[in-house]
Amino acid sequence: MKRKAEINRRSFLRTTGIGLLGLPLLANTYTNVAPSDRIRVAHVGTGTMGGSHIDWFSAFPDVETVALCDVDKLRLAEARKSLTSCNPAANPDVYTDFRHIIDRNDIDVVTCATPDHWHALIAIMAFESGKDVYGEKPLSFSAKEGLVMKNALDRHDRIFQLGTQIHASDNYHRVAEIIQSGVLGKIHTVRLWKTGGTSGMGFPPNETPPETLDWNMWLGPAPYAEYTLVRCHGTYRSFFDYSGGVFADFWCHIADIMYMSVHPKGLTSIDARGEVPCDGIANTPKWIDVDFRFKDLDVYWTTTPPNVPGADKMHIGAHFEGEKGTLTCDYETRKITLGNESMDDISEVPQIIPRSPGHQRNFLDAVKSRNQPESNLEYAREMTLPMHLALISFRLKRKLTWDSINEKFINDPAANFLLSREYRSPWLLPVY
Amino acid sequence: MKKILILIAILGIILSGCSPNNESFTSLFNGKDLANWEMPGEIPGFKVSGGIIIAEPPDGSDLFTERQYGNFIFKFEYLLSKVGNSGVLIRCNPEDPWGTGVEVQLLAPWTPYRDDLHCTGSIYGHVAVTNRPDETTGIWHKMEIKCDRKNMTISVDGQVTTVANIDTVESMKDKHLEGTIGFQSNHSEKGEFVHFRNISIRDMDANPEYVMKGFYEGAVRVRKQAHKAAETMGTPMIELLAQMLAEENPVTQAGAKQVLFDITAQSTASEVPKSKKKDVIKALKKSLKNCSSERVSGYLSWLLKMAKSSV
Repeated sequence: MKRKAEINRRSFLRTTGIGLLGLPLLANTYTNVAPSDRIRVAHVGTGTMGGSHIDWFSAFPDVETVALCDVDKLRLAEARKSLTSCNPAANPDVYTDFRHIIDRNDIDVVTCATPDHWHALIAIMAFESGKDVYGEKPLSFSAKEGLVMKNALDRHDRIFQLGTQIHASDNYHRVAEIIQSGVLGKIHTVRLWKTGGTSGMGFPPNETPPETLDWNMWLGPAPYAEYTLVRCHGTYRSFFDYSGGVFADFWCHIADIMYMSVHPKGLTSIDARGEVPCDGIANTPKWIDVDFRFKDLDVYWTTTPPNVPGADKMHIGAHFEGEKGTLTCDYETRKITLGNESMDDISEVPQIIPRSPGHQRNFLDAVKSRNQPESNLEYAREMTLPMHLALISFRLKRKLTWDSINEKFINDPAANFLLSREYRSPWLLPVY
Repeated sequence: MKKILILIAILGIILSGCSPNNESFTSLFNGKDLANWEMPGEIPGFKVSGGIIIAEPPDGSDLFTERQYGNFIFKFEYLLSKVGNSGVLIRCNPEDPWGTGVEVQLLAPWTPYRDDLHCTGSIYGHVAVTNRPDETTGIWHKMEIKCDRKNMTISVDGQVTTVANIDTVESMKDKHLEGTIGFQSNHSEKGEFVHFRNISIRDMDANPEYVMKGFYEGAVRVRKQAHKAAETMGTPMIELLAQMLAEENPVTQAGAKQVLFDITAQSTASEVPKSKKKDVIKALKKSLKNCSSERVSGYLSWLLKMAKSSV
């Protein structure tokens, strides 16, 4: 299948408006999908999360896994082996440099499960080469990158889904329905939490990177650092050079239900407190508490569960406080309190929000229909922004005020400086 | 002429070499009032009269420094009445002085408790004196208490009476490494008293070289204390931190990286005067000039950009 022909087919579907109508038909013919209807997928980053991407996407009959890429040759070989053992027909090309995937014109979709500091550039380069992206959370390493991603997506007319797979759950959709129905009254406060934080990781000496790992490529746009195992796979989120700790890992998952339900707007101030570990080379929060002031909504993030019934048993959760009642939820459960009554559901609230067919399917459908999926880039960007701002407040150890129209801190040039990061040569964040 | 200049320079070096101890002690008592001190509680336990701090009323409130101290040498003179009883509260939270800190005893010898674990110079109930001091009442004695990270040394009239390492004293393991310093009010009967004068302190956490050594310590809480002291000191630490960052020691690298960030970040706040911001920029520039490692220069240039953004 030639890329150009594929685009033309999609343009045709979009302009004639039969894209969506075609979907049920496709759904029934999964077992025998014509090559022209197949979505050709490449996966960048084949670690634990990337492995899930490969499993999830390759299970769809209309997906063909055409390429795998990882800077670690061992992981790459394992991922290929795992795929071909389940799916003997698969014959993906393997690369250690994602630019080979970008350069190919027979690939429709790139999924990205690299460390955070690579998310933006890989997505932007994929957009520029006409590919759609399913990208892992958090959306980007810096706030600025999120904006550039959005502009690149618009310019190149691409589809993006953030890999917050919990978004697709029935529980999240039902929570949003209950809150939006107004049965709890106007929501004035939201409490979000995730227990646990970065541990120090000790003081391992610097080492020579394994020959099977392209460490320089792993670092990419991040500042140069000597290799130690804990900086790399699995634990890189403990370092501000690549991510923002447990907070950055889980913010998107639980802030998601807040954005689905009340979509806060007009952020004016961010006040973070916390501590970095002192017992190792890791430097992201050991704990972090943040107070956010949105227009008509106070949001509190804590590292320990808030003092509300049931929260102490939940390692992650969201608690909504409305004028008439409260709702506490995590990924799978919800508890509503109205007056003295406590319940799991309110049957009078009608089911009006369409359910997701699954997060990856929702994305693949969007690739075909050219209508953005649920966790599209602008939604993901708005949801991720407060996380970036909180980490800046944490690092500067001061309360920050925010101009949500111009997306700049007020009267704090250093905080604004931290909204972006200059890439290490030869990498450059494109200008849009 | 040249010889005279050299002579003056040598003389200057000798003189300054002789006097750093005196120079670096700060008086904590002005002879007139209790500025720099706090007396929480309803009955004041202390007053100033004739250039002396006097503790007379029994059950009066204790007297605490306004500031907290971590590592220091605290010097003062005391005079106890016939059966006087007082003490010095070290590294304590005034709300729970004996729970958070320790008391160095000041006690007339003929009170009921007079063993080596409870006499003047002992760390009351924790560490006994090994060299019992002169306990004559009614005359002035000098006491010096040195807190050097996990070590405490107490001297009376120029003789060391007590040494302690908190790792070897089970009951002191959870004591704070930082807090206020306090004098206990008259702990004896009505009519007894204790007098204090010539109170001064040398804050070792204001000495960059001393603080730098803390970055190499094995214990997390000692390193944390050094990091905090370095952050508080700010600009004078920058060059030393840049040197530590260049070393192949992951412990000091991590500490120096964090504190360099914290010092720079602190200088970028809007309320910091421009002159202070410029001092930080100058120190970062100087460190950058002396740096040969790519890793370190990359980091320092980044911090320099952040510092400059706020000027």
